Amino acid sequence: MRDGWQWMDEADVSAENDLQLTNAVRGLDPAVEDPNYWLRFQGWVVTSARAELTRRRLMVELTMGDVMSSWARALVPSALLAAAVAGLLAVGPPAPSSAPLSVEELLVSGLDGEDPIPDRTASVTFVSELF
Amino acid sequence: MVRRARQGDEFAFGLLVRRYQRAAYSVAYSVTGRHEDAEDAAQESFLVALQRLDECRSPEKFAGWLMTIVRNRSRNLVRRESLREMDPVPIGASARGPMPDRVTETRELRSRLEEALEGLSEVQREIVLLHDLEGWKHREIAERLDLPSGTVRSHLHFARKALRRTLGSTEGKLNQTRKIP
Repeated sequence: MRDGWQWMDEADVSAENDLQLTNAVRGLDPAVEDPNYWLRFQGWVVTSARAELTRRRLMVELTMGDVMSSWARALVPSALLAAAVAGLLAVGPPAPSSAPLSVEELLVSGLDGEDPIPDRTASVTFVSELF
Repeated sequence: MVRRARQGDEFAFGLLVRRYQRAAYSVAYSVTGRHEDAEDAAQESFLVALQRLDECRSPEKFAGWLMTIVRNRSRNLVRRESLREMDPVPIGASARGPMPDRVTETRELRSRLEEALEGLSEVQREIVLLHDLEGWKHREIAERLDLPSGTVRSHLHFARKALRRTLGSTEGKLNQTRKIP
């Protein structure tokens, strides 16, 4: 004759026995001995994770707006400086302007070679006068 | 909750811990077989999970993802412990054992149950503990451990059968349910 659980056929195992087994396994729950066990477990984990949680919160706070404003912090002084320099240049002494060119000078300006403009003071001698 | 915890929400992370701490402990216990080791592995796993939370692409699969971490941490811990046990134990050092201040009957029952659990495969232990200790349903275990539902039922059935056999072969509390032919 077999003893205990062993002699029972598989089909003979009642829900009651399974419940007993379940209860036995539940006896492994640390909270059976210490009702506050899971509360302390949670507290320990959350406390240990606090530094990482803080780091994650800080990362989230660095939003797009913060990125834009950090750019603006660098850009605005540069822009102001550039504007000030431009303003100073604008109100400074004007550069000496060159004398206006005559029409003939404008026409030949930039051309290489002999001065194509004849001496306007020289007298003009016609061929008919030579003979 | 996972998304909020990812953003550093302490309350959300606390809820996640509260929700899965028993399951994490169950899985860790199924690997280590010792309360203290299971506790260490489960706690460490939550911290590792928080650090790697960005790797958890599907928040709805957080439980399964967490259990994988717990399993790996527990295996590493067992490996470390087995290496440590090879070193000579200093005189006066207390060995890690069951929880102190235990009622004798409970201790005895627990001790026999631990022995019985040792006879199961790791996956069988995990399923039995998640089912009976944590109270997860077959479907939940299947989804979260990414196992077919039939496999979970089968493992649970054979694990229970083996446990009953082992527990029934020893004298103790559980034999009180003996059937009289």
